[in-house]
Amino acid sequence: MNPTTDQAPPHWRVVAEREISTQLRSRAFQVSAAALLLGIIAMVVITTVVSGLAQTSKVAVIDATAQVAVTRAAPLAARLDDNLTVTSTPYDDAEAAEQAVLDGDVAVALLRSDEGYDLVGDADVDPTLAQALSASVTSLITSANAADQGVDLEALTQGTRVDQRLLDPDASNATLRQIAAFVFVILFYITALTFGMGIAVSVTQEKESRVVEILAAAVPIRALLWGKVLGASVLAIGQTVVLAIVGVVALLATGNTEALTILGPAIIWYVVFFVLGFVALASVWSVAGSLASRQQDLQGTTAPLQLILFAPYIIAVTAGESVRTVVSMLPIVSTMLMPARLAEGDVPWWQLVVAIVATIAAAVLFVRVGAGIYEQTLLRTGNRIGFRDALRSSKDESSTVTAP
Amino acid sequence: MLQAQSLSRVFGSITAVDDVSFDVRPGRITGFVGANGAGKTTTMRMLMGVLAPTSGSVDWEGRPATAEDRRGFGYMPEERGLYPRMKVLEQLVYFARLHGFSRTDARARARELLEFFDLGERSGDILDDLSLGNQQRVQIAAALAHRPTALVLDEPFSGLDPVAVEQMVDLLHAEAADLPVLFSSHQLDLVERICDDLIVLSRGRVVAVGSVDDLRSTTSEQYRVVLDTDAGWLRDVRGVEVLSVEAGNALLTLDGLPAAELAPLLTARGTLLELTRVRPPLSEIFREVTG
Repeated sequence: MNPTTDQAPPHWRVVAEREISTQLRSRAFQVSAAALLLGIIAMVVITTVVSGLAQTSKVAVIDATAQVAVTRAAPLAARLDDNLTVTSTPYDDAEAAEQAVLDGDVAVALLRSDEGYDLVGDADVDPTLAQALSASVTSLITSANAADQGVDLEALTQGTRVDQRLLDPDASNATLRQIAAFVFVILFYITALTFGMGIAVSVTQEKESRVVEILAAAVPIRALLWGKVLGASVLAIGQTVVLAIVGVVALLATGNTEALTILGPAIIWYVVFFVLGFVALASVWSVAGSLASRQQDLQGTTAPLQLILFAPYIIAVTAGESVRTVVSMLPIVSTMLMPARLAEGDVPWWQLVVAIVATIAAAVLFVRVGAGIYEQTLLRTGNRIGFRDALRSSKDESSTVTAP
Repeated sequence: MLQAQSLSRVFGSITAVDDVSFDVRPGRITGFVGANGAGKTTTMRMLMGVLAPTSGSVDWEGRPATAEDRRGFGYMPEERGLYPRMKVLEQLVYFARLHGFSRTDARARARELLEFFDLGERSGDILDDLSLGNQQRVQIAAALAHRPTALVLDEPFSGLDPVAVEQMVDLLHAEAADLPVLFSSHQLDLVERICDDLIVLSRGRVVAVGSVDDLRSTTSEQYRVVLDTDAGWLRDVRGVEVLSVEAGNALLTLDGLPAAELAPLLTARGTLLELTRVRPPLSEIFREVTG
């Protein structure tokens, strides 16, 4: 028939190649991928800036006592927060100091009042800074008073020192962990929806343009399904891996090596769960596409899938601890919730195993049922086909299409 | 050879195709004619395997056609379909590659077909930017992309201007000279001109099948007669049926009279100015067999 049959690539590969090259050249894909990429980088950078790697708080002072208090507060502040450096800036009078606070030139002003000192901030005062300055002023004035009164301050304060000892220092990064968990949930939701919808649209386009009739005559219908699932999966997983790498590089570049040791395993698990979760759903997206006859039908036929993705998103954001633990082992849901839980803290290994086995089982089931329905519905046009109707006809082997 | 063996297809309570059998022989162009709804498209879809028959089978080279056999066929479906937003050359390359062509071979083949239709310069355009006639040229190029083993073309000439029709006929002769070619059409003049064999379908059943010449000879032949006298007397002659008569002119068919006796009969009564055998146009055959 033709000279190259021997080394001919399998049909599904040719189909997958077309899916990939078409997607890669589509403006929508390029824009969304770039947006996600920039989003991840921005997220890391902003988090780093907000958590304040090198935060210097200037304190306006107008008298010598306050200046000494600020100097003594510096080591105290550093003990409370590694990143906090405190310096004093002298001003001529209270008015100038307050103006500096309002202008944002200094974080706070430490000004003498009738009963001692006032910490003057504009809208609020950083609690760590306030704590360090208060302690410093109290100790400075107390020791001055003690000297005046002839009291042995050391004897008076003996045994009053309170220190902190942390049994679970990892938990201190609660904010970072929560942000990471949230990013995992959002990222899967967006990626699964974008690429899943991409599969459905691509299937419907072939039905709508009627090219499917030629395709069905040229290759086994299952090869079309595999090609599409494979193409979209390669793209979705590729994008996810790129995003994961960019996230890691961004964390390294901003000096967040500590964050990386915490999030590293969660990121790897995210990629693993993503692959399983996406492949499980990909065939269902193809079916949703094959049920529609025109693009307008897609909103309806993909609604169940959008719900499947949206429900875990809601659960991830709102549910309580025990509910999350249980549902995080369910297929698809696990892809969003497991990496999030891993980012937030330890997850017992058996729960990971249950989640993975359940997702693989679901993937096998969905792919089987999905392929059957796809073969039955792909060449049916005219109107939208219901899921139930499609399922029924896929069991009725004798109907429309020849299974090659 | 491509054969339909007692193909039937039932949709609900309607029998769209009813026990249809025919041969499509290699090296011959077989016309598939019938009124709208006669079952042509349904039959062709069953030949291609995109629709399962309710009963009957499709044979290829004397044995039941496998899926692999059918993938070798070239197909132009009734409802045209290509990727509207894909570049013309890329579409053809894609179809050739789906049939196992290497990238290089597929590209060479796609260029060759586009050149044939003078579409070489449009190969980088997306399909939607082409005129409908040019889109149809690409459509038939897609059916030929993989050097098919047989051609099943559903209404390949509909909507084409005469120049495009000529081009396509040339292409069929060049590309499919030794292939079985089945094409449906209701442009009977065209079918008459380019077909070797004919299958006439009416209400899901084959009502006539055979070579165009055979079919012509089975229908009653007509003769045009011009006499120098009034030809009205022919009405009374046994074995002759007069279809029309006007002064010395008459159109008649033989109804029992041997053809050899016609001329002597006519010359016996006067001067015979003209006697011509009129080959009935295909539309006549069509009317006769489907009527």
